[in-house]
Amino acid sequence: MSEMWINMGPQHPMTHGLWNLRVRLDGELIKDVDPEVGYLHRGIEKISEDRHYNEVITLMDRCCYVAGFAWEHLYTIAAERALHITPPERAEYLRVLSDEFQRIASHLMWYAAFVQDIGLMSPFLYGMRDRDLILDLYQSYTGARMTYEYFRVGGVRSDLPPGFTDQARKVLDWLTPRFNEYDQLCLGSDIFHKRCDNLGVLKANDCVTHGVTGPMIRSAGLKRDLRKDRPYSVYRQLDFDVALADSADVTGRYLVRMEEMRQSVRILRQVVDWLDHHPGPVIAEELPRWLGAPYAPVGKEGYLLKRHYPKGVGFSAVEEPHGEAQAYVVNEGGEHPYRVKFRSPVFANISAARQYMVGYRVADIPPIMGSVDVCVGEVDR
Amino acid sequence: MSTVTLYSVSYDIASLILHILGFIIPPANAALTNGNVITGLAVLVFGVILLAASMLNTILLIWWERKLLGRIMDRRGAMHVGYAGLLQNFADGFKLFRKTTVQPREADALGFFSGPTAYMVTSFLLFGILPISSGWNSGILPLSLLLALAIFSFAPLFIFVSAWSSNNKYSLMGGMRSAAQMIAYEVPLLLAVVAVVIVAGSFDLTTIVYEQQNYWFWGPLFVALIVFVAGMLAEMERIPFDLPEAEAELVEGWNTEYGGMLFAFFMLADYLRALVGSILVVLLFLGGWTMPSWVPSAATSFPLAGIFWFMVKTYIVFGLFVWVRASLPRVRTDQLLRVGWNRMIPLSLLSVFLAALLVTVKCVWPFGCIPSAGT
Amino acid sequence: MEAEELSRALAPALGDRLTAVEPFPGTAGRVRFRPDGALDVFRRIHELGFTHLSTVGGIDWVDHREVFYVAWSDALKQYVFLSTDLPADSPHIESATSVWPSADWHERETWEFVGITFDHHPDLRHLLMPDGYAFHPLLRSFKLHEPEELEVKVRHV
Repeated sequence: MSEMWINMGPQHPMTHGLWNLRVRLDGELIKDVDPEVGYLHRGIEKISEDRHYNEVITLMDRCCYVAGFAWEHLYTIAAERALHITPPERAEYLRVLSDEFQRIASHLMWYAAFVQDIGLMSPFLYGMRDRDLILDLYQSYTGARMTYEYFRVGGVRSDLPPGFTDQARKVLDWLTPRFNEYDQLCLGSDIFHKRCDNLGVLKANDCVTHGVTGPMIRSAGLKRDLRKDRPYSVYRQLDFDVALADSADVTGRYLVRMEEMRQSVRILRQVVDWLDHHPGPVIAEELPRWLGAPYAPVGKEGYLLKRHYPKGVGFSAVEEPHGEAQAYVVNEGGEHPYRVKFRSPVFANISAARQYMVGYRVADIPPIMGSVDVCVGEVDR
Repeated sequence: MSTVTLYSVSYDIASLILHILGFIIPPANAALTNGNVITGLAVLVFGVILLAASMLNTILLIWWERKLLGRIMDRRGAMHVGYAGLLQNFADGFKLFRKTTVQPREADALGFFSGPTAYMVTSFLLFGILPISSGWNSGILPLSLLLALAIFSFAPLFIFVSAWSSNNKYSLMGGMRSAAQMIAYEVPLLLAVVAVVIVAGSFDLTTIVYEQQNYWFWGPLFVALIVFVAGMLAEMERIPFDLPEAEAELVEGWNTEYGGMLFAFFMLADYLRALVGSILVVLLFLGGWTMPSWVPSAATSFPLAGIFWFMVKTYIVFGLFVWVRASLPRVRTDQLLRVGWNRMIPLSLLSVFLAALLVTVKCVWPFGCIPSAGT
Repeated sequence: MEAEELSRALAPALGDRLTAVEPFPGTAGRVRFRPDGALDVFRRIHELGFTHLSTVGGIDWVDHREVFYVAWSDALKQYVFLSTDLPADSPHIESATSVWPSADWHERETWEFVGITFDHHPDLRHLLMPDGYAFHPLLRSFKLHEPEELEVKVRHV
């Protein structure tokens, strides 16, 4: 068989979304790859220019369908900086609560998809089962399981329902031993190590050069986590460790994500305890009504009551489950942002695909791409 | 009971049908009740019974796998059609039956259609030559084991034909893998069988079963059993050796382009081969339809007890295959080849050596003696 | 590192290619520079330890266009924000890919959305939009088109 290009995607079980990995193969050996994205481009940055600040949050949920909260958080920080608003502390804790649950849910989704990629069937169901508990929690306080629209510029939409924290603790208690089970299923298997060790290696230097972030860079031994490096929200008050591995391969990324879930559970326990003892407002009080007066009667939300903020720009960076996301919001006065720019971590991680895929075999593509954790929604935006 | 065999039943049915026909059409009576005509129809009836039995078992096997997988994965599996989803697979089958068969534009029609058909037919043939009980067999075939394994190893050829003719790069790679994988597992598989043949002294499956009356072969030939089961997993193309249809990278491998009834052919044939694989394990290592002497005779003397126990063993063996599928990741092609040549061939040679040793010493504690020791 | 410190570190080497260094929340500062000296600025910033380019983006200010870069330093644990203005009639700037290879896709995206040409970019072609797409959607002048106006070639592989 001579060399040939094959299209892995846009409809292919490996892609976990709608994108195309063009691969040049010599037999089973990968000679070259050329990722093609854009199949899911919805023009979120363009739509945002005609939206009120709070309406952009709706788009953020659609940005990444497994990590909606992280993107809501990213945008709200940038918008608050652009509009010079400070959210109340309880809102910040609620955001971190949502963020960290989202991190676990996203990683569980990744785990489910990843083990499927190497042919392991049962853990897929286990991952989805446990993720469902978190979605149930989301449903109880946002009313939605996937597209939450819960954050607001200046706070969050509503407080937690009564009894939520107990329920959250139950979920955390259930999750803690589950991670060990996952490890037994994967790390306990020789075939897993045969498939994943020394696979898709991307050393720390190359990660930096090619803009790769998130679990991929941490698996290469570089301690880089925006929650520690540039603490946003209330991460400064919370006690947790950065998950690290040093093998820079697929197994390393697995280990990093597993450890991150454990650390998220640790963070969540602190957050839930704090929320129990610190009642308070969840949205800034001096907001104009068009920006989210929380209990305005229907039909009288007061979109016409314009109060222009001074011009400003807001830049934010958030450690999303997939890596480092950034938002840049330009406020030229008025209700709409003048320009919104998002930086998606997966966008950069995919763009470096040539660096960590060439030289491996075609059967290695799914585990490698699985370990990158591709979320096409945020790549294409 | 030993007088009632599958063939005698078929003969009775055929003769009954022909006699009734002869009664209805008196002029043809003499011609219809001729012994040769009855024999001819009996063979046909025999085939129909086999087909029905194999299809029924295959579909039951799919149900069994779905339920077992479901339980392992913390869910229930099929539940809604029929009791505990027993009829779900019939519903699925009818759905596939009604679907349009889509032929890719550039596909080669001859290979595209004949591949699945041949795959199906050979798999069905396999079921026909295996003895299920002392009554359920197709007569004495002195080399039935060899025949079964020979037919078993046809499959990669048909897979390759259908993969190549569907004009799809994924299919082609799947077909290539299937052919490449064959050389990895076929040698150790056959060597493991040789170990059994050495001890039993025969290629006839019925004889092999009766040779296990003192002890089943899985004990003394444990190494051969391990190699055989691993080889069978590869032969059946099940996880962890389902590389030709690795859905993660090759979509569905060699059957990517197939849909409707042609896909159903592949699906049925796959499970038929899984059934035959489990049956072979039972026949070669688990005593076939016989039960050990310590089992109370009430449990082994009821009508069709042989078939019953045989099927119980078969489904348990298949359950083990399902368990493996639920808990192991898939290996890579080069890793499979390495395992095949570096691990399984030495092990199978060892098992042949052990078998020769067993035949020489004749009796092994704690299993006992070979019944035909010395022949 | 604060804006003044950054200014001190950059000014001697860059001279008039550097126009201003302003404080910018969330980063070490916003470095404004002249587009013709872009590559020198990138190199100097890279030497300062900002080895990781996070993103490249563009803004259409109607009368001119702005292109901005965000880089991160692992040693300083800080971002730096670079920005420069390009004329609206011929917006082009030297590509940063020779300094930061990760700029590749970000520049492609900026080119196709904001219409800024990156000179010496190794592979400046469409990324999110289909090949042959003739518009730059993030320009203020962009209007929605009827489907028949869009003649989009489909690539056959």
